[in-house]
Amino acid sequence: MLLLQIATAGIATGSVYALIAIGIVLIYKCSGVVNFGQGGYAMLGAYAAYALARAGLSPPLAAAGAVLVLGVVGALTELLVLRRMLRAPVVAVMMVTLGLLILFRAVCLAVWGPDQIAFPQIFPQGAVQIAGIFITYNYVAAALLSLVLSLAFLAFYRFTPMGLMQRAAADNSRAALAVGIHVSNQVSVAWAVSSALAGLGGVLLATLNGLSLTLSNIGLVAFPVIVLGGLTSLMGSLVAGLLLGMLEAFTDGLLTPALESFLRAHTSIYSVGALQQVVPYMLVGGMLLVRPQGIFGQRGTERV
Amino acid sequence: MALQVTDLTISFGGVVAVNGMSLSIEPGEIVGLIGPNGAGKTTFINCVAGAYRPSRGTVQWKGTELRGLAPHSVIRQGVARTFQNVASLHDLTVLDIVKLGAAARGRRGLAAVADLWRGEAALEAELHETVLEPLGLADIAAQPVQTLSYGLRKAVDLARAMASRPELLLLDEPVAGLTVQEGQQMAAVIREVRDRRRCAVLMVEHKMDVVMSTCDRITVMAAGARIFEGTGPAVQADPEVRRVYLGEP
Amino acid sequence: MPARRRLALLAVVVLAAAGSFALGRFGAYLVHSVAIAAIAAMGLNLLTGFAGQISFASGALIGIGAYTAGNLGNAGWGLGAILAAGVAAAVASVVIGLPALRLRGLYYAIATLAAQFVLEYLFKIVEPLTKGISGMNIAPLVLLGRPVASDQAWAAISIAILALTWLGLARLMRTNVGRAFLVVRENELVAKGMGIDVVRVKLWAFLASGFVIGVSGALVGFTTRLASPEGFGLSLSIDQVAMLIVGGQGVWAGSLLGAGFVVLIPEAIQRLGEALHVANLLSAMREMSFGLLIVLFLLFEPRGLAALLRRLARGVSRIALPHPVPDSSPVVAARTPAPGGTREKAL
Repeated sequence: MLLLQIATAGIATGSVYALIAIGIVLIYKCSGVVNFGQGGYAMLGAYAAYALARAGLSPPLAAAGAVLVLGVVGALTELLVLRRMLRAPVVAVMMVTLGLLILFRAVCLAVWGPDQIAFPQIFPQGAVQIAGIFITYNYVAAALLSLVLSLAFLAFYRFTPMGLMQRAAADNSRAALAVGIHVSNQVSVAWAVSSALAGLGGVLLATLNGLSLTLSNIGLVAFPVIVLGGLTSLMGSLVAGLLLGMLEAFTDGLLTPALESFLRAHTSIYSVGALQQVVPYMLVGGMLLVRPQGIFGQRGTERV
Repeated sequence: MALQVTDLTISFGGVVAVNGMSLSIEPGEIVGLIGPNGAGKTTFINCVAGAYRPSRGTVQWKGTELRGLAPHSVIRQGVARTFQNVASLHDLTVLDIVKLGAAARGRRGLAAVADLWRGEAALEAELHETVLEPLGLADIAAQPVQTLSYGLRKAVDLARAMASRPELLLLDEPVAGLTVQEGQQMAAVIREVRDRRRCAVLMVEHKMDVVMSTCDRITVMAAGARIFEGTGPAVQADPEVRRVYLGEP
Repeated sequence: MPARRRLALLAVVVLAAAGSFALGRFGAYLVHSVAIAAIAAMGLNLLTGFAGQISFASGALIGIGAYTAGNLGNAGWGLGAILAAGVAAAVASVVIGLPALRLRGLYYAIATLAAQFVLEYLFKIVEPLTKGISGMNIAPLVLLGRPVASDQAWAAISIAILALTWLGLARLMRTNVGRAFLVVRENELVAKGMGIDVVRVKLWAFLASGFVIGVSGALVGFTTRLASPEGFGLSLSIDQVAMLIVGGQGVWAGSLLGAGFVVLIPEAIQRLGEALHVANLLSAMREMSFGLLIVLFLLFEPRGLAALLRRLARGVSRIALPHPVPDSSPVVAARTPAPGGTREKAL
């Protein structure tokens, strides 16, 4: 019973991780840029939904509007900032996305303040009973929406002409140029889609945990996900997102209590703190040493 | 016998780049390695220098097996190489690069800490005399390498290799990209290095006039293997070589 | 360095250190804040700007320095505590650097991020050494039998250590290990071909940079008198990288400039905010200026303040002098590289 409860929470947060991570991988694949600021876009999405709802839109409509707004923000980021940094070294590009993250946080801080805000109810209140446990609609909706959207996006990427152009640009930008694909437009599109996905992830996360600046931390949590999944594999992000969501949930629900009771009995350490937050990073540290290309990634991609 | 390579084989993802290649060099000998593009010449040099690890074969150098050694260990054995295309190294001067060459056979491990308080005047004087002057680089020793012409940068690369006091020099297209005049100077320098130090030289080169005038012996490679070996005139006369090179029937 | 220049430099440092006793408390506080940040920034500059290895773990390394110095200082170690802090951080830096021997660029950056988070977590839970979340109080450093508590004294000490660090690092860059850093930064394959043991060179870079960052951490501990986990978080690492970018990579003066900028600009904004009575917007404005600073520098002056100032100085001298001073005119005109001469094909 407890296990099922924990697994549900894990799947819900894990699928949101997947949504965020897919966005990062999408941009990386087609432009070689790793967006350390992805969490900022998620946070911006949640605040945008909140603002739109405050302005009078119905909550679901506000959420949809926020996703659109974020798509525009993403495209603008690419046009105004990243496009000017095509020849900059990797470190500079990483840092510029971090700078954007700091900027976004500051803007949200200035406009909405540092306190936790009650997020509008997007999904109906109440819970559904499955196999003897109660799951709130928030969780069900977060998990279903993220999973369905992730899969829909994978299908879009795989099977549509637009997806084909995206893949061509990602695979070999010169060759794509040669066959007439406007590569930099494709990069803008990738940024727009990625930010929209992040915005939706932010909205879903806010329905689960409430809205505050700490929402942007999800961008950093996404890095273990993409390393585990392999930086170049969208499917890998999906699977790794779910896995890490579960890992976090089980660490929080099972491992931490067990470990603490052991430590209290045998040492002077009383608490292991937020172990679930570092476990993914410990995993990543080991992973990078043993299999740097991730579970689904291909070896040698870093050499490009 | 100084260098004795036997049955060297390496492949990359199913493509066999060097296939059962054998080659030997005596001390003080200049051997030219020629062949069409893609014959595996540079790959062969990379294998000897330790950049690639061959899947089969042996690389005997004065009784030591070089195969499997890291590049920096190969240099310690007295085998230095130059590059086909010289990298642009920001901020480093000619003298810096040459010092790095000398350091390739210098102190290791924690002993390197001593570099912090030891002066380098004696080393600089020695490098000036043994490397920079002979190669005509003395006047530009303090220049950043990136401000130099391509030809001079190739000379610096050779100076760097020579500073490690090699007994075998592996030269990867030493005159490619140089003007005719620069090329002749480079060829003269190579002969002088050999004459003065009894250093063995293996050079990969496409410019046949340089190869003919510089090398004591020529080995021809095609499709990863040796197809002919002999003196310059013999190579030019061989029908198989002519077929591979010139497409004659 | 010629003897006369060396003497002049010594005089400047001694004067600056002595001058800090003439400062008010707040002035001295600003001086040691900048100097201590600059020491760590130089350590990171060595690793990133000179040896080409990015790191997001310098915040945690500063923390290791502070905790080590705190524990040993409280046990009465004196100056030895500062050295021990450097050694502890150097060891940690090498351990964090181990993945860099196998990974490159982005993956390594993520590995350092992971190290930062794991260390930050350890600061919270290893209570016997760190006093956990509440943080560890650090007694004043005892020097020559007297506790050093005034900001003025710390300003003088920080200036002296900053000068020593600068001198030591500049000297390191004139040894073969230092020169090898530059080659490894530019191209590892070429470095290998030149007979450079890339693994060993990288380990030296991690060791030296960790030591310097650890010393800075010790000074952070002794000046703030408190070491707590949130003080050594990712934001401190980002501050450090920001100093590197704003100041300029691969230039020692850049670290000092960057540290000055990143430490002083928020202070200035705070003052301004207090004067304008908009205190509630303060932290937002500080962060905003910080984020903007990073983005704008990367977009418009990626080589940092050091390059900007050099250009300005050149412009001034061009106006002041009838004939412009040529900067490093190449004797031989640079020629375009050979056809197909990309760096990737260097082997």
